[in-house]
Amino acid sequence: MATRMRLKLKTVFVLYFLVSLLGLIYALMQLGQRCDCTEHDMPKERTISRLRGELHRLQEQTRRLEATKQPRKESSLPTIFVITPTYARLVQKAELTRLSQTFLHVPQLHWIVVEDSQHKTPLVGQLLAKSGLSYTHLHVATAKERKLQEGDPSWLKPRGVEQRNEALRWLREDRKAQTDARGQQGVVYFADDDNTYSLQVFEEMRSTQQVSVWPVGLVGGMKYEKPVVEGGKVVRFHVGWRPSRPFPMDMAGFAVSLKLLLSNPDARFDGNAPMGLLESSLLQGLVTMDQLEPRADNCTKVLVWHTRTEKPKMKREDALQAQGLGSDAAVEV
Amino acid sequence: MPKRRDILAIVLIVLPWTLLITVWHQSAIAPLLAIHKACHHLVKEIFIIPERLAVRHRLSGGGIEGKREAGGQAGDSKEYCASDKDIVEVVRTEYVYTRPPPWSDVLPTIHIITPTYSRPVQKAELTRLANTFLHIPNLHWILVEDSQRRTPLVTRLLRETGLNYTHLNVETPRNYKVRGDTGDPRIPRGTMQRNLALRWLRETFNANSTQAGIVYFADDDNSYSLELFEEMRSTQKVSVWPVAFVGGLRYESPKVNAAGKVYGWKTVFDPNRPFAIDMAGFAINLRLILFKPQAYFKLRGVKGGYQESSLLRELVTLNDLEPKADNCTKILVWHTRTEKPILVNEGKKGFTDPNVEV
Repeated sequence: MATRMRLKLKTVFVLYFLVSLLGLIYALMQLGQRCDCTEHDMPKERTISRLRGELHRLQEQTRRLEATKQPRKESSLPTIFVITPTYARLVQKAELTRLSQTFLHVPQLHWIVVEDSQHKTPLVGQLLAKSGLSYTHLHVATAKERKLQEGDPSWLKPRGVEQRNEALRWLREDRKAQTDARGQQGVVYFADDDNTYSLQVFEEMRSTQQVSVWPVGLVGGMKYEKPVVEGGKVVRFHVGWRPSRPFPMDMAGFAVSLKLLLSNPDARFDGNAPMGLLESSLLQGLVTMDQLEPRADNCTKVLVWHTRTEKPKMKREDALQAQGLGSDAAVEV
Repeated sequence: MPKRRDILAIVLIVLPWTLLITVWHQSAIAPLLAIHKACHHLVKEIFIIPERLAVRHRLSGGGIEGKREAGGQAGDSKEYCASDKDIVEVVRTEYVYTRPPPWSDVLPTIHIITPTYSRPVQKAELTRLANTFLHIPNLHWILVEDSQRRTPLVTRLLRETGLNYTHLNVETPRNYKVRGDTGDPRIPRGTMQRNLALRWLRETFNANSTQAGIVYFADDDNSYSLELFEEMRSTQKVSVWPVAFVGGLRYESPKVNAAGKVYGWKTVFDPNRPFAIDMAGFAINLRLILFKPQAYFKLRGVKGGYQESSLLRELVTLNDLEPKADNCTKILVWHTRTEKPILVNEGKKGFTDPNVEV
């Protein structure tokens, strides 16, 4: 009796053990699998998608309201006049195209493009017309002796001087014709066509009273150059090259208020200034260092980069041209 | 003797139960399992319903399902998936500036695959690329970093743009990496990153869905016109167009005959390649990518200039190509390259504050 009982108990235990083991294995398998738990999730999903739909509808409504508000809001913003000197080379159309794509996001922006050429070129003219931006197309040719020759390093002669001065001259004349006070409001920014601009830098400069400044990335042989701000004022400049200049900044690192330029009708860039002093030649006559307005979070953020685009290698093209088999010149690049 | 047996019996009873309890305790399985599934379902739904909310979808490592990333980076996300041990993190955030155009139910989505790697000009390049993409409706940017981990620079940048994006990363093994910036065409840069993006697309979309999509490989230093994206939106299989500044020419372009079919390539560098075209010169319909799940860029043993062919020859023949840009007579994309900035004045110790992000 006892052995039989024990036998029964043994089998019971063995069975029990086996069942537990199988159950454990089953549970462990379940952990790694994706089960088809649709019946659990349906109600959750449905509510979530319903909420999304409502959110979407509300967003549409707010967007519609915003759209009607926009024109009124925009016209009260001071206009940013962006002055870009440009010259014909292979990458010109590409540079101007991606520049225009950035500017399209900035409200109340007026682009003044000044070509270094004897006449306005159709390439630039058509690009500006198609861009959808508010623009002015000017041109002035640099005198031959001031021009960089093939093979000259880019720092040898200052570039874009006549073009920027021409833009300033046009701006002053154009504003004379505008008699209302609002026409004298604005900010002037010198934007070269190969740099990279974030959208924030334009909002930072819009409130310029005299001259505002901020850091510039990838310039002067450093990761960035910047004004050093203490107590809300610029005390010196953190640059790697000739920090003793009156304004050791890059063209992309400052903006001037239109009012200041109009009240100083003779302020312009000096093409005879030594290397690196081009910016100072304009700013010296306008402000002193302690009058500079620091932007970009007290000059701690980089919102503009002094990128440069490589000259594309045309070895094969040149070889073909020599044979008279160059690519179709009618195709604009 | 019976004592020993009894003990054995007791152990045999108790052991599986203790194992079970400890295992279940560790993962707190039951409630989690449900949410885990919910995440997956939700992700699929958000993507298929074209809503105007940015969906961020993250995958770690080599995209292998088994890997789990501990600790996400979502500080400001509104999460329905509570666990941060999930493979897939779904972050839903509102567009910050309402700048991307409203999502359309009709337009096919353009999935743009951009491999990128850390270097001083990276933030600048991605910034101006984002400024371009913000004009394109129904755009989905798949940015794949060549790095071990997703960098905070790119994560922050993507979040601030307000674009619809997916952020992935995979590190190229050192023997495949290009040292410096030689631009040596023999070593295909960005291949692993592009393949990861293709894999992600195949895992996310199923071939039977009605969501139309176009896949385009856009490098972060090129220049794109806005018209290009509208040209590629009508791609049925693979569409092609000219690209400027490649192959040592003003532009390279497909040769199109009077019947509007591509019959050759107008290039100087090896025009006999199956597809003598640059990465920026073609776009593929998503359906084709999903129907041919084995088609990837070849990683090893690819001759210079043959990388594009290694993918395209598995997808189409020359006859199936659709010429765009006015029968391949207009230039809508430029293969620009950005100069490497000379950082001489940084010196050995670094002159500038390394905490300032450039």
